[in-house]
Amino acid sequence: MNMKRILAAAALAGFIAGPAALAGRSLTIKGSDTMVILAQRWAEKYMGSHADVVLQVTGGGSGVGIAALINGTTDIATASRKMTQDEKLKLRDRYQTMGVEIPTAKDGLSVYLNEKCPVRELTFDQLKLIYTGKITNWKEVGGSDARITLYSRENSSGTYAFFKEVVLGGADYAPNCQTLPGTAAVVNAVAQDEDGIGYGGAAYAKGIRDCAVKRDAQSPAVLPNAATVKDGSYPLSRSLFFYLRKSPVGDMKKFVDWVLSPEGQALATEVGYFPL
Amino acid sequence: MKGLTSWVAGTMVLATLLCAPAKAQDRATSGSESSAAGLDATKGRVEAMGEQVATMQSDLDKLKRFKFSGYVQARYEQNELSKNTIAVTASSVTPANTNRFYIRRGRLKLTYDSSPLSQAVIYLDGGADRAVTLLEAYVTLRDPWTPNHRHAFNVGQMNVPFGYEVERSSSVRELPERSKAENVLFNGERDRGFNLTSQWLPKLQTVVGLVNGPGIKHTDFPNSAPRKGKDVVARARWSQGIFDVAGSIYSGKNVIPMADSSLAKDKSLTHDKTRYGADAQVYYQAPSLGGGSLRGEFYSGHEANPDSVKSLAPGRVLKKGKNIDHLATDFTGWYAMWVQNLGERLQVAARYDVFDPNTDVEHDQYERLGTAVNYFYDGNTRITVAYDVPKTDKYRKTTKTWYDPQDNLWTIQLQHKF
Repeated sequence: MNMKRILAAAALAGFIAGPAALAGRSLTIKGSDTMVILAQRWAEKYMGSHADVVLQVTGGGSGVGIAALINGTTDIATASRKMTQDEKLKLRDRYQTMGVEIPTAKDGLSVYLNEKCPVRELTFDQLKLIYTGKITNWKEVGGSDARITLYSRENSSGTYAFFKEVVLGGADYAPNCQTLPGTAAVVNAVAQDEDGIGYGGAAYAKGIRDCAVKRDAQSPAVLPNAATVKDGSYPLSRSLFFYLRKSPVGDMKKFVDWVLSPEGQALATEVGYFPL
Repeated sequence: MKGLTSWVAGTMVLATLLCAPAKAQDRATSGSESSAAGLDATKGRVEAMGEQVATMQSDLDKLKRFKFSGYVQARYEQNELSKNTIAVTASSVTPANTNRFYIRRGRLKLTYDSSPLSQAVIYLDGGADRAVTLLEAYVTLRDPWTPNHRHAFNVGQMNVPFGYEVERSSSVRELPERSKAENVLFNGERDRGFNLTSQWLPKLQTVVGLVNGPGIKHTDFPNSAPRKGKDVVARARWSQGIFDVAGSIYSGKNVIPMADSSLAKDKSLTHDKTRYGADAQVYYQAPSLGGGSLRGEFYSGHEANPDSVKSLAPGRVLKKGKNIDHLATDFTGWYAMWVQNLGERLQVAARYDVFDPNTDVEHDQYERLGTAVNYFYDGNTRITVAYDVPKTDKYRKTTKTWYDPQDNLWTIQLQHKF
């Protein structure tokens, strides 16, 4: 009987020790598709000078990264939006903490238009009416007589959530809005569609034209660039975050400190984002 | 000859050189035509793939409206009460042994997000000690008027919105079971009816609902409402983050069927069912250990005494010597709990809970010290080792003294959540 108990305890201990022993000095970073290129560049550069640390970077969307942080399958969640109250409560349920939020860079959320689109600027109100399906033709906002094609991200995306919160004021996207799995896909769709409109990180804006954005009809139209994002005059600027379960220590703290250092921030600028 | 050969060779080289550009030009012309054709073919294939991807995306979007989730709790329990005997009473056969492997919960939840304004949930439970049952089935309608749809109307079978323990899923709870007070007052946690959930502020939520009353586990009325009127329940919660506070109220009536018409004119006994609840949770961070929390909850009110069933004979006649006033009594219940994470994978928890079903009599109080260690094997799997020390008073007729029976319980549970 005692032997059975000893064997059962040994088997249990083996199972328990297994995953902990495999953990090693590896850190996983998961989440925002907007940040995936930036996080990869940070990881590559950091690993170049810290050979003993392995950083694994994957995307999937801010919501996916935060879900992974909650269920313990990532060490750092990257997010292009703030954690929701519901997500914080789920994290608290498991770890008894509300998480640690670290802004790592800034981004100007670009509104993408096709190169041939005659529209040059849009107000928040016009964007809201377009994306909620109240304005459906370009001529209603000074363009040609053509039906507007809406491109958006999926609802697991932080960019989707940020745009919904800030531009749509929490209203729902129009049912005919086409959801695409990544910012590159949105850029590609708008580049090929003269009547298309999309949105996403400024760093992805290649082969399309940025639309100048006005907070209201009286405000100046502002294009996203380093100066306007940094001084806050571009109305769609946002922070890009790291979320952790608790205050960083050890290798994680060293990496986070490096990301916030001039070297890490310079890399953010190089990739197309803006330093803090 | 040599000169002729040289001349012929020279002529052939010259001819080749002269002809080569022409042939190259021909090849170039035919090559550019074939390249253009190839480009067209590739473009056509890309467009076809684009259409296929668009179709797949459309199908995927429909499938993503379905969300499956669930969990399995496989458990071994070892109880001090266990005996190798089987109790036979009339036609009932009950094993006295409680050392057992069993499936405490095997749950599968299907959520369908029809649109941002409506949702349906079907939730099944197939624990080993019962057949597969419908745990929840409800429809949610969200208001179209407010940003982020702050008000939701739920109708069907769902959690009764009362107290912290009821609303908290068994898959995230730190101890294997809820407190005794909750188990008695809200056995099964669910009932049929409707409620209106409102998120007035990011941190303030209220719920107001109307339910049948007996709940889904009630022995007398699992599928019907015994009373014409319905029970009202309401809850308000402020969620600050490092602390939460909430209050709940439940008001209704209980109907106990009675065979003896002398006890009640309508052959049943109706009495008030009133419950008040308050709960609070405080969270803190221990630098070298991890997060921790202190929690407390209090229940009070007037309710059908769980012992009241024992006061009734099979024909629903009050047993001789039993007091009809004890069919419904004032009760209190509370618990205090501590949870501490030890790094990323380990967690310890302890709770002391008390339930007094009748505040007017002695020796009916239930007390329990529950402790548990949770090990999080991976993101989905958790191993729990728990030890419960209940304290109840039993009367020993031979010595005419009260004693606490030996019924401490070890629980080892493996949970996988998906």
